[in-house]
Amino acid sequence: MSSHADRHTTASPSAAATNHGRDVLILAAAAIVALIALYAVFMDNGQIVAATGDYLHEFSHDGRHLFGAPCH
Amino acid sequence: MPLIGAVATMSDATSPLPLLGRAVTAGGAAGLATGLFSLLLAEPLMDRAIVLEEARSAAEENAHQAAAGAAAHHEELFSRSAQHFGLVVTAVVAGLALGVLFAVAYALVHRRTGYLVRAWPRALAFCAAAFVAVSLLPALRYPAAPPGVGDSATVANRQSLWLAAVVIGVLGMVLAWQVYVRLAGRPDPVRHGAVFLTGAATLAVLFLLPGNPDEVPVPATLLWDFRVVSLGSHLLWWVVFAAVFGGLGLRAARGPAGAQDLAVGGLPVAPVR
Repeated sequence: MSSHADRHTTASPSAAATNHGRDVLILAAAAIVALIALYAVFMDNGQIVAATGDYLHEFSHDGRHLFGAPCH
Repeated sequence: MPLIGAVATMSDATSPLPLLGRAVTAGGAAGLATGLFSLLLAEPLMDRAIVLEEARSAAEENAHQAAAGAAAHHEELFSRSAQHFGLVVTAVVAGLALGVLFAVAYALVHRRTGYLVRAWPRALAFCAAAFVAVSLLPALRYPAAPPGVGDSATVANRQSLWLAAVVIGVLGMVLAWQVYVRLAGRPDPVRHGAVFLTGAATLAVLFLLPGNPDEVPVPATLLWDFRVVSLGSHLLWWVVFAAVFGGLGLRAARGPAGAQDLAVGGLPVAPVR
């Protein structure tokens, strides 16, 4: 995976410049997804899946206690 | 520096995506290792804490039998074994997500030199700093507590405090790093003293935050064991992450990817500053 990306970006100087903006966008999008995932496992108290019960909180219950995230 | 390493560095300097791939791989591996470690060592403690919690609430119910019983009994959505599995899943998901955030931070800090320069020592140094900022400092202020501790009425308040502690830990580490960088050229005692004072100030700010409002009705030995295992899990996560991330960085710098770059890319892409 990494070798493809490495080769891709060496194609030419201009390609490298346009790739840079794309790479920053991908990195920012990945960071947003990561923050949402961390919120879901460590912070959610029923805000994400509230209709049927506190499923996310209860499923990640032990992980929250272990890593020091506040729990009920 | 060997030529192959230099060429791989140039291509990698233009794209943080291989860095992202290495960090996410390392995060998943660290999450899995930590999940299995805590499944073995932390779950017996948590199961014991839950048995004690149930005994406690049963005793309370007996005491207040007249006052509309079964008030404290909340419905269980998942069995304990499902929650054991949930621990491993949580560790892996959090590991992947932390890997992404690590990649962003690493890319920002090392953007000037490229991401494969001194891959191993930089991985260790970055992970040591991140462990102190994200794991150790918040754990000193708000140590982990086993199940049975934690009042649902105060959870929103405790979450704000915990988040604040993590943010203060990260800001304190960034500040210490900046102090160290900007005092380059001063005598070492001045530089190191300033970094030490920054760390002390960060700790002081952390302890200005209000304390955890909840009672901790758990035997002291169980609480201590749980906190040691909790901090140990954090440490293990960072150790495995550092080893995998640093190892993948070394491999990318000297491996086939670097050799291919040497064969394909005749043109220099960007100057390495």
